[in-house]
Amino acid sequence: MNKPLEHPSIADPKARYRAGVLKYKEMGYWRPDYEPADTDVIAVFRITPQEGVDPEEAAAAVAGESSTATWTVVWTDRLTASDSYRAKAYRVDAVPNTGAGTPNEAQYFAWIAYDLDLFEEGSIANLTASIIGNVFGFKPLKALRLEDMRIPVAYLKTFQGPPTGIVVERERLDKFGRPLLGATMKPKLGLSGKNYGRVVFEALTGGLDFTKDDENINSQPFMHWRDRFLFCMEAVNSAAARSGEVKGHYLNVTAATMEDMYERAEFAKELGSSIVMIDLVVGWTAIQSMAKWARRNDVILHMHRAGHSTYTRQRNHGVSFRVIAKWLRMAGVDHLHAGTAVGKLEGDPATVQGYYNVCRDTHTKADLSRGLFVDQPWASLRRVMPVASGGIHAGQMHQLLDLFGDDVVLQFGGGTIGHPMGIQAGATANRVALESMVKARNEGRDIRNEGPDILIAAAKRCAPLAQALDTWKDVTFNYASTDTPDFVATPTAA
Amino acid sequence: MRLTQGTFSFLPDLTDAEIAAQVAYALSRGWACSVEHTDDPHPRNTYWTMWGPPMFDLPDAAGVMLEVNACRKAFPRHYVKVNAFDNSKGVESIQLSFIVQRPAEEPGFGLARSEDAGRTLRYRVHSYATDRPEGQRY
Amino acid sequence: MKNDAPATVDLAALLAEANVTDVLDRLDRELVGLAPVKQRLREIAAFLAVSKARGALGLAGTPPSLHMSFTGNPGTGKTTVAVRMAEILHRLGYLRKGHLVAVTRDDLVGQYIGHTAPKTKEVLKRAMGGVLFIDEAYYLYRPENERDYGQEAIEILLQVMENQRDDLVVILAGYRDRMETFFQANPGFKSRVAHHIDFPDYADDELFAIARTMLAQGDYRLDEEGEAALREYIARRKAQPHFANARSIRNALDRARLRQASRLFARATPVTRDELATIAAADLRASRVFQEA
Repeated sequence: MNKPLEHPSIADPKARYRAGVLKYKEMGYWRPDYEPADTDVIAVFRITPQEGVDPEEAAAAVAGESSTATWTVVWTDRLTASDSYRAKAYRVDAVPNTGAGTPNEAQYFAWIAYDLDLFEEGSIANLTASIIGNVFGFKPLKALRLEDMRIPVAYLKTFQGPPTGIVVERERLDKFGRPLLGATMKPKLGLSGKNYGRVVFEALTGGLDFTKDDENINSQPFMHWRDRFLFCMEAVNSAAARSGEVKGHYLNVTAATMEDMYERAEFAKELGSSIVMIDLVVGWTAIQSMAKWARRNDVILHMHRAGHSTYTRQRNHGVSFRVIAKWLRMAGVDHLHAGTAVGKLEGDPATVQGYYNVCRDTHTKADLSRGLFVDQPWASLRRVMPVASGGIHAGQMHQLLDLFGDDVVLQFGGGTIGHPMGIQAGATANRVALESMVKARNEGRDIRNEGPDILIAAAKRCAPLAQALDTWKDVTFNYASTDTPDFVATPTAA
Repeated sequence: MRLTQGTFSFLPDLTDAEIAAQVAYALSRGWACSVEHTDDPHPRNTYWTMWGPPMFDLPDAAGVMLEVNACRKAFPRHYVKVNAFDNSKGVESIQLSFIVQRPAEEPGFGLARSEDAGRTLRYRVHSYATDRPEGQRY
Repeated sequence: MKNDAPATVDLAALLAEANVTDVLDRLDRELVGLAPVKQRLREIAAFLAVSKARGALGLAGTPPSLHMSFTGNPGTGKTTVAVRMAEILHRLGYLRKGHLVAVTRDDLVGQYIGHTAPKTKEVLKRAMGGVLFIDEAYYLYRPENERDYGQEAIEILLQVMENQRDDLVVILAGYRDRMETFFQANPGFKSRVAHHIDFPDYADDELFAIARTMLAQGDYRLDEEGEAALREYIARRKAQPHFANARSIRNALDRARLRQASRLFARATPVTRDELATIAAADLRASRVFQEA
């Protein structure tokens, strides 16, 4: 873009601070000549201005409303080093395939830099209150979406990050070289504690590493939380003794108050559970509290991203999940549901791989084809194990392994419990499919193309796998994704 | 029982050629292989006995197979596993670990329960193998 | 004959496809002389290709034994040829990796009891998939000391040479006469080594050609008198003790380059590009070899 070299803010202090209303650009929030510092927080917003609003002014308004500005000039700015506290919109790019000559209304990527001193150390609540606080309801914008953020190393170092991380989790579980296998217990609601524990026992004994409470299993009339914990741990320990493997069940400790959550987490730990889970809806402060609790108590912390689609799914408004994933890695979770690309829930494959990179990289490289706008060094924050869950089955094993590699939990809920020969058979089918695929990949075979043949060959020695392949052979969820990268057209996986 | 620790325990026991193929994969990624064995495969038994240190800088799987075979020969009734270690930043841990020998009869584990306050149970996974002194197991 | 076996095999194509012809041609071009060695290499390559072809056509046969001995005086190209040999074996599919691990007794034999086996095994592990080149192999065997640890290394080597022929090729190298004595005393080695290649000393002309190649690689050349001096140097040096063929030539040229540099420095006038590239007779004739005559 051709930008004027001098920025348009008013230089004369008298004019700048005269009572009244100025354009945000004039107040100093549009600084095309600004070079972001290494310590700046950078945010990339997608803005859809109202008719007639100049994109640079819109970007300046976002910078202003997410930092120091209010709707009118205030003289009290002059009591501060306001130049450094003002966020600076420094770059505006038109979004490809929007605006004049396209069927889509004009959208822009606005790049905004924030001084490090605007944020409290180690607090996602504070960071988000600024960046996605008032600004998302701002009238001059039709819609606003936070696409990506570059968190400076200086700020990252004030966060604990994942309490356990991929490496230590694997060392605790003694499971290496393959994705982990899990399943969410079904039906989600209504089972008594004893019946629920039965499903856990069957699935773990059949070969899964983990089973999982669903997001809305807390403490309902049909199953009080203590019942669930007691029966599930009986199941976990029985399965461990039968297999000689470490097993786990994500006990959901989500509750109404922090005191309740701590009580549940303490009980889970006391019973010897290696892992507990919380839902995203508990909020940032509760998440960070649980992250610290988990680090103190050697318990893995599983995050179910319940509710995220209300603000991550639409392309023009909300917060991209890649940003949520960054905040969650900082806040400190060990497992994070990050999509399947091939299952029943929203997720374009390239975009989903972008989320996985955010979870697992030591240094995430900017990659527009995966929706990653900025380089993100991770400053040795531990790595998050992504979880692929929702409408996946053994017949997709080659696609899943090819897309996501080894460091992922593959969760086959229906794909385990819905097996025609029972839950153990379903679990065994998944484990055999997985191990066969990993073995074939390591032997140098092209699993993307030969995957189905590898599965058929493995099924010859494993009846449960043959039955699984037969049952779900035609199941695919082939719908267009709503959130795809802007820079490369990517078809949804078949 | 069949101990299902390790990457490939749900598959038929790997042949030597299949083991070598996995080792070749590990070496091609720059990982160092090591061989470990034990007569007590308790799921929380982290430290099996090392059959020598990790073998760094080997170009070919046959070098690792030499040690696999030597370990199996020395401890024909132990569990033997191959680990592949990755020393790259952010990992610095094992990336692959699989069993290459198991005893013909695997005694497995018992689950001991003791009642505690309320409905709480305390669990202990117990290796039947450890009922006998070291050297007389299996 | 197996049903799915092809009816014919094009041997030349087989060699070319594996890019072995390419290696052999390169050897011809880049190595001066060594005609009998090159001939033996071609024979071995042909034999291995035929063995492959026989296998492809379903003809019975045991896999060929590949361990070799390279005998000859120092500096006759044994190590260089061993590297190429490893490459040929790799391209023909007899070795998975085709690297070369060159060792001497010190790398294999330990200093105290229990030290030798781990050392030898360590070397073997590194060499797996490639060629283990043991220079002056006869030092492994010291009959005068019956408790010499070399014997332990020999036993481990023999075992691996026998049992892991698919994993490793061993090339034993050294002076011809001493290797013969060694084989006499160690029939285990003799029976396991299938190919003996003798590396003759270079003729004067060949050494001269080698010198020219070496110089050209460093952007040097000889003037007319320099050439005459080098020819004379070669004849004199060969007659003296510790002559090591190409290695001696390389050392002589290294020293000549030093002298050239000193000579140019000692001059007051600027030097030309041509002078910088030229080794003169004086640079060679200052050698001890001429003085001692």
